[in-house]
Amino acid sequence: MIHSVTFPLRRFRVEDDSMRPTLAPGDYVVVNRWAYRLRRPAAGDVVVVRDPEAPERFLVKRIFDVNRSRIEVVGDNEGRSRDSRTFGPIPLEEVIGKVWIRLRR
Amino acid sequence: MSLLYSLARLLDRISPAPIAYAHCDIPCGIYDPHHSQLAAHTVVRMNDLINQLEKPGTSATPEQRQEYTNKLARYLATKEQHAEMAKNEIRILWGDYFKPEHLKTFPELHDLVWKALKTASKARQEINLQAAEDLLKATNDIASIFWKTKGFETITAKAPYPTERQTVYPKYK
Repeated sequence: MIHSVTFPLRRFRVEDDSMRPTLAPGDYVVVNRWAYRLRRPAAGDVVVVRDPEAPERFLVKRIFDVNRSRIEVVGDNEGRSRDSRTFGPIPLEEVIGKVWIRLRR
Repeated sequence: MSLLYSLARLLDRISPAPIAYAHCDIPCGIYDPHHSQLAAHTVVRMNDLINQLEKPGTSATPEQRQEYTNKLARYLATKEQHAEMAKNEIRILWGDYFKPEHLKTFPELHDLVWKALKTASKARQEINLQAAEDLLKATNDIASIFWKTKGFETITAKAPYPTERQTVYPKYK
């Protein structure tokens, strides 16, 4: 493996349409897993989270609201997105990290 | 295509990046356990066909051996494919359709799905009629729960395929 457990950066490949036009299928994102060690998540951040309905899967979404220990996320392509509007808020532990770099196809 | 993107793609070949879904799942709400049952029937059928296939004896000609190998390879390939299809269909129901409130009513669901996936792997790896039968039973059990969550009663009837195994169907109103 290239990444050790503590290495902060992690790559993901984007699939599906819910983050258009920001992210399109086939794009890569590099996620900073330490992004929220010093500061709290903020509305507007694009994050990778664990899918609350299928924990082995990851989702990439934008934060639209933050409260004490949970965040709500939506897709930029609101008409075509399964997000907090259906599965509710996500606990902070389920946040993998903040998208730092995106590599567009 | 940028240089960095090409680099990321190259890296992906060496060690694939996990997928982050910008999941749309509109949500379409269209789910049906029948695909998994159908795939399980195919796995049962392939086991039947493989077991019926006459193995070439010591006096078999090269042509007979070739024919045997061809048939066996085709049955095995189909068995592999459909066992994997069954797993995929079960995963879709589990990950996308079933909700926490269903689990409250049917607490056995997680265990059932887990065993179904394991059995499907066994049915894929081995020539094993029992594993195929177990897979079909598991897909029937999941179908039975699925239809109950939809408010349909179910009937168990002999399938109209050469496998003729008992299969769970919804009783449409």
